[in-house]
Amino acid sequence: MPLVEITSVTKRYGSLTVLDDVSLNVEPGEIIAVIGRSGSGKSTLLRCINGLEPIQAGRIVVDGETVGDKATDLRRLRQRVGIVFQSYNLFPHLSVARNITLAPTVTKGMSEAAAREIARDVLQRVGLEDKIDAYPDQLSGGQQQRVAIARSLAMQPKLMLFDEITSALDPELTGEVLKVLEDMARSGMTMILVTHEIGFARRFGSRVVFMHAGRIWEEGRADTTLAAPRTAELETFLGAVLH
Amino acid sequence: MIREFGWIDVLYLIAAMRWTLLLTAVAFLGGGAVGLVIAVLRVQPFAPLRWLAVGYVQVVQGTPLLVWLFVFYFGLAIVGLPVLPWIAAALAFSIYGGAFLGEIWRGALQAIPKTQWEAGAALGLGFGEQLRWIIVPQAVRIATPPTVGFLVQLIKNTSLAATIGFVELTREGQLTTASTFRPFAVYMTVAFLYFLLCFPLSQWSHRLERKAHAAG
Repeated sequence: MPLVEITSVTKRYGSLTVLDDVSLNVEPGEIIAVIGRSGSGKSTLLRCINGLEPIQAGRIVVDGETVGDKATDLRRLRQRVGIVFQSYNLFPHLSVARNITLAPTVTKGMSEAAAREIARDVLQRVGLEDKIDAYPDQLSGGQQQRVAIARSLAMQPKLMLFDEITSALDPELTGEVLKVLEDMARSGMTMILVTHEIGFARRFGSRVVFMHAGRIWEEGRADTTLAAPRTAELETFLGAVLH
Repeated sequence: MIREFGWIDVLYLIAAMRWTLLLTAVAFLGGGAVGLVIAVLRVQPFAPLRWLAVGYVQVVQGTPLLVWLFVFYFGLAIVGLPVLPWIAAALAFSIYGGAFLGEIWRGALQAIPKTQWEAGAALGLGFGEQLRWIIVPQAVRIATPPTVGFLVQLIKNTSLAATIGFVELTREGQLTTASTFRPFAVYMTVAFLYFLLCFPLSQWSHRLERKAHAAG
C-alpha cells in the first residue's frame, strides 16, 4: 500500500491554478525528487501533503489518513510527516536541544530528560552533537539546516518532506546537508524532495518527478528519466540547471 | 478656613500617590487580561472572532476614557446599580487598557514571521501550543518597550478618576487647593510627583527599546 496517494489534486490561489490535476503515489522507502522551474507548483505540492496548504479538488491520503478530512487529526498526522524548509525556520529563542525537544515534550508528553536523549541521538545523526546547547544564531546556515532536519527526525516520522533545503546555502555548505540526506536515504526513510540538486536526484532518487505549469509533466526512474528526457520542457530545464 | 500650603500637605499628596499606584496596578492587570484576550482573538484563524476584537478596539479607541468613567459611575447608578468609585474606575480602566494593550500585543504577535507558526504546525503543535511555546516568547521582547510606555500613559490617565470622586493624587490636589487656595504651588507639586513616577518608567522603556533594536 502506498504511503502517500495523491489523486487528481487541484490547488488554486484565486484564479491562479498552481496544481492542475496532479496524481502521484509514493511507496514506503521511495525517494522522490521533484524538480522543475520556480512557479511550477513543486513546493506547493509538498506543502499540500502535510496540510499546510488546503486543496480545492482531489484527494491526498498519507499513511491511510485523508489530509484535510474532518475526521483526520492533522496535528497527529503531522507528527508522522516531517518537513524541512528552505529557510530552516528554527526557533531563534530556543537552544538547539529545546528546538528538538519542544515537539516531543509538548505533543507526546515525553519527559524533558527522555526527549533530550532523543535530541542527542538525532544530533549525532546529523553530526552536531557538540552543538546541543548552542543557539541557532551561533550556527552556520548548513548547521542550522542540519538541526532543522534533526528536529524533524526527533518525531520519528514515517515520511520526510524537503523543500529546497539547500537553496539558501552557500555552495560549500550544501555538501554537509546532502551528506545527511544520503545517510537518511540509506537508512530507508521515505523522502520527497523538492530540489535543484540533479546529481543527488540521480544518485539517490528512486524516481524523478518533473513539474511544469502545475502538472506532472514527466516522471520515471531517476537515472533513465534524467539521462533521456522524453519532453522538450524537461530537456530545456535540465540544460538550464546543468550548465 | 484657609490655611498655608505646608509640608504636611505635601506628605498628604505623597500618601495619595498610593491610590494612584494602586489604581494603575488594577488597571494594568484588568487591561492586561482584556488585552491578552483581544490580542489572541486578533491572530486566531476564526474570522468572526477577529472582527469582534477589531470592533471592540475601534469602539474603545474611538471614545473618551472620561465618558467610560461616567458611564460606569453615573450611568449604572441611574439604572439602579450604584457602584463605588473604585469599581467604576477599575471597570473603565480595564476596558480602556484592554483596547490599547490588545493593539500593542497584537502588533508584537504579528511581527513574528508566519514561518515560525508554520514550523510549529509542521511539528504537530496546535494553535495554542504554537502561541504558547513559539510565538509569545519571541513577541514579549518586542512588546515590552511599548507596554512600559503605555504604563506611563496609564499612570497619568488615572488622574481622570478624580472626576468621579476617587481620591488619588489629583483629587487630593483638588482638596488641598480648596483648603489652602494655593493652586499653583499645589498643582506644581502634583505634577512633580507624577513626573517622579513616570520619568523612570519612560527612561526604562527607551532603554528596553534600544536594547531590542541592538539585538534585533
